[in-house]
Amino acid sequence: MTRTHAGWIGSAVLAAVGAWAIASPAVAQAPSAEEVMRRAHLAMYYAGEDMRARVTMKLVSRDGGERVREMVMTRRTLKEGGEQRYFIYFHRPPDVRDLAFLVWKYPGRDDDRWLYIPALKLVRRIAASDKHTSFVGSDFSYEDVSGREPEDDSHKLLREEPVRGREAYVIESVPKEAADFSRKLSWIDKTMWLPLKEEYYDRRGDLARVYTAAEVKEVQGFWSAVKRSMRNVQSGHRTDAVFDDLRYNLKLSPELFSERALRAPPAELTR
Amino acid sequence: MNRCLWLLALAASIAGPGLAFAEQFPIHGFAQAASAYRLIQPDGCPPTQRLACEESFILGEGRVRLELAPRGKWWALNAKTELIYDAVGREVSVSLREGYLDLRFPVLDLRIGRQIITWGVGDLIFINDVFPKDWVAFISGLPLEYLKKGSDAVSATAHWAGSSLQLVLAPHFVADTVPEAGGRLSFYDPAGSIETRTTDDPPASIENLELGLRAFRNLVGWDVSLYAYRGFFHTPAVEVEPGPALRLFYPPLNVYGASAQGAALGGVVSFEAGYYDSRSDRSGRNPAVENSSTRLLAGYQREIVPDLTVSGQYYVQVMQHYGAYLRTRSPAMPDCCAARHVLTLRLTQLLLHQTLRLGLFVLGSPNEGDWYVNPEASYQVTDAISASLGFNFFGGPGGSPYGQFKGDSNVHAVVRYAF
Repeated sequence: MTRTHAGWIGSAVLAAVGAWAIASPAVAQAPSAEEVMRRAHLAMYYAGEDMRARVTMKLVSRDGGERVREMVMTRRTLKEGGEQRYFIYFHRPPDVRDLAFLVWKYPGRDDDRWLYIPALKLVRRIAASDKHTSFVGSDFSYEDVSGREPEDDSHKLLREEPVRGREAYVIESVPKEAADFSRKLSWIDKTMWLPLKEEYYDRRGDLARVYTAAEVKEVQGFWSAVKRSMRNVQSGHRTDAVFDDLRYNLKLSPELFSERALRAPPAELTR
Repeated sequence: MNRCLWLLALAASIAGPGLAFAEQFPIHGFAQAASAYRLIQPDGCPPTQRLACEESFILGEGRVRLELAPRGKWWALNAKTELIYDAVGREVSVSLREGYLDLRFPVLDLRIGRQIITWGVGDLIFINDVFPKDWVAFISGLPLEYLKKGSDAVSATAHWAGSSLQLVLAPHFVADTVPEAGGRLSFYDPAGSIETRTTDDPPASIENLELGLRAFRNLVGWDVSLYAYRGFFHTPAVEVEPGPALRLFYPPLNVYGASAQGAALGGVVSFEAGYYDSRSDRSGRNPAVENSSTRLLAGYQREIVPDLTVSGQYYVQVMQHYGAYLRTRSPAMPDCCAARHVLTLRLTQLLLHQTLRLGLFVLGSPNEGDWYVNPEASYQVTDAISASLGFNFFGGPGGSPYGQFKGDSNVHAVVRYAF
């Protein structure tokens, strides 16, 4: 009932804003909303053939309490916009040190995920049905880490608007099937194609989470969000992620992303 | 308990400078205090289980682990040493939990030394995982990692075109740690009045070398493994000798098996099968030695809502030559069933940004009537300090696999400072 209602209001707002957008000549020349989101998806999740970074996530509670998760995240793309493999090796906190996580991501179906538990020398598959689960307790979900397919949502270009002095398209995305958000607003940079900001609205239509690309820089010719923040505006909890030692095109073989690496990770996946 | 605090302080003082040069020469580890209090008094106290009847604390210990893990491009060393103070038995001991050298070649990984090896896909049900276990640690409520013991072995794994083959050679037999006479745990012991007991490990020789083989690959999205093992039962068989005296020994065993795990039905589906060939009692007529058996497992795991995972398993163990077993068994041995059926259920809920974990594990045999229930809560107080509180409840007929530990049912707590 609530969702239908929110959807109806959403559609009404959308229609009104949409009508305004069509009337604006500047927007008329802009690429389609689908094209903007497709390019943003590629810029954010498919830069380079492979990528590696030392990622530090700081989980900050409303009262300022901090927890730190530090990991090396490596990604190999098999097909642009399609299949990918991720390897995540944890350094901190101490109770998850040496824990490793392998994901084979497929467009259009559930990922394959494996977890390696070093204390038991155990590799086990983990259920991947819910992509909205929090990634290591942070405000980022699995989907935020490895990307949500643009085809899963309907997109609409609302307007153009600067964010911290950079020109951006504002896109509204509504999930085609039930998701953990009812709609999302994205501010996509007009030249870098990276999302500078995102607002996620919950099923009641209230603002739930806000993503900010706090620092963007060019690494080996690829624009990269090296400081990212996700804030849960309802709980006051936020996660700041910093990507250090970011490198692209390391010539990593797809075969590296295997059970072998989980059990005895080679240096190129851990540091 | 004061000593545990002292150990914590010691570990903290080690940890401070340790972190400073951790980047160059990583030293890690933890200090941990653990305790378990018996909730149900054992009924009947044979002379060999006096301590189990007198002692309320099954577990009370402090332990400090230091871990060295230098690594290069093609090699890695890993040494985990523990200093343990057993406050109940007032004993100090040192244990090398793991200590191995890894060598990495283009298509071959070698691991030499004391290492933990885990095979199979079961959750607390082991078919092809024939490697040594510490059931005393498990019953006493130590963290689950202590259920696994290191094997002194050489493991070589070759990788070729997406397939892998692992060969494990263990020249030195390591038995499971099981509750024994004179210990703090009570267990089913029909010969409880016999105090003279000897244990015979398999003598070290070429033909007693333990040998394990595992072939695995990903096949149409499923992780498929084949296993073979030649060695010994890791829990002892018991024979009464004139005197009377008891002789504990480890009968020869071969295991052949397979497992598969894959994403299906919105979750993860697991299958495992194994045939236990009891080499010294293929006819099933020796009452002291476990008969051959066939073992099958099916499991399913699913995250039903974010951070709430449910899993269940069905396991069956079918004894071969049940007729021969019935004809030759001693009156103290159960005559229940040719097949043992087991069902398990596990619920795991993560809360407070995955820092609080509430878990419930239930295992029961519908036809033999024994069961095990383990509710547990663990909280990550800070990134370095964790605390957990749990219960182990055992029940069922006295001679059944889990029912025999009824008198060891306990509440246990663990506090750990990790660095």
